[in-house]
Amino acid sequence: MNKDFEINAYVDGELSDEDRIEMLAAMRSNPELARAACELTNLKNQVQLAYANPPGIDAYKGRLVRSPWSAMAASLVMLAAGLTGGWLLGHTPAGSDRFVMLDAQGRGQAPAAAESPETRIVFHLTTPDQTEAGELLADVEQMLQAYQQDGQPLRVEIVSHGDGLDLLRTRLSRHQEKIHRLADRFDNLTFVACQNTIDRVEVSEGIEINIVPDAEIINSGVNHVVKRQKEGWAYIRV
Amino acid sequence: MKALASLTASLLFAIGPGAQAEPDKEIGQKVVYHINYGDPKKQAGALSNIQNHIKAAGAENLDLRVVLHGNGLSMLLDPAALQRLPRFKHANVDFQTSAKIDALKLQGVNFHVCASTIRARGVDVERDLYDVAPADMVPSGIAELARLQGQGYVYIKP
Repeated sequence: MNKDFEINAYVDGELSDEDRIEMLAAMRSNPELARAACELTNLKNQVQLAYANPPGIDAYKGRLVRSPWSAMAASLVMLAAGLTGGWLLGHTPAGSDRFVMLDAQGRGQAPAAAESPETRIVFHLTTPDQTEAGELLADVEQMLQAYQQDGQPLRVEIVSHGDGLDLLRTRLSRHQEKIHRLADRFDNLTFVACQNTIDRVEVSEGIEINIVPDAEIINSGVNHVVKRQKEGWAYIRV
Repeated sequence: MKALASLTASLLFAIGPGAQAEPDKEIGQKVVYHINYGDPKKQAGALSNIQNHIKAAGAENLDLRVVLHGNGLSMLLDPAALQRLPRFKHANVDFQTSAKIDALKLQGVNFHVCASTIRARGVDVERDLYDVAPADMVPSGIAELARLQGQGYVYIKP
């Protein structure tokens, strides 16, 4: 069976029910195949998004010059619509649309707007490099100590997501003891693992993923850092 | 026809001043760029991003900061210092980089350097770093990133 051909047919929804079931079973046992299907589906969706409404040839046919009256009326309507639209745009309540996410990697977020006496920082850990992750832990420890000594309120979350999940995997983490010590000592520090990443890695590596007991697990790491920023937390990507 | 024309005129007159488009500039953008990686290519890319940002928004409309900490300090590190500083893998100050940094500074960009990294890695500011004044030092790069965001700076990590 030519899987390349079949997978395209599957993504396009052109397989018969029997072939579909067979393909789904094949994907369950073969993560490579599942990933290929996922990527193809993504690509298909992106292409559809880019060309959602292509102008058909008909769009250029039958353009008639109508009477100047209707043209003038139409231009008046458009003027009024433009002015109203402009007025509405200019009067959007400040702050409601300040959150902008420029790309899926979490780059370029808007500021934490809300003023709060408490310093709140969410670290978005996406690097597999555990030397860097270790430096982060050292920085965070230093900061927690300094704030504690000065009696300043501070809250820190470390959200590990994508490749950053390694820090919280019992099999791979090189900093388990330090994580445990920090979590024990500072109740204003939370380690957060992303369930979506766990699911994805379990499929691609075909093993069960264990997360260190000091970490909380939330559904989506991206969603979580977005939520935190909306709540006024400072965001730092590692 | 006449009635319609005068209606149009009065309509334009009535809303005319309000309808003027606002100048197409983003006024008072406050932005902090975060660099904590040492790879020279990525750093050069980041400097280009910043230059393009200034080109697009105009230097007079921008308050632009760059916070360097951890491996990010290599952007200002003299290659001659690399042997003395085993914790750095890169030292990226060459003619091109320093020229780019000078140009950005002339357009009002501030480069902030993390004092805690300097201490931890035994960097001598005078000898090892390119053009860092005492006023450019911040106690902690991370705390500075949090502080600036609290003041409404937009965070970008290129």
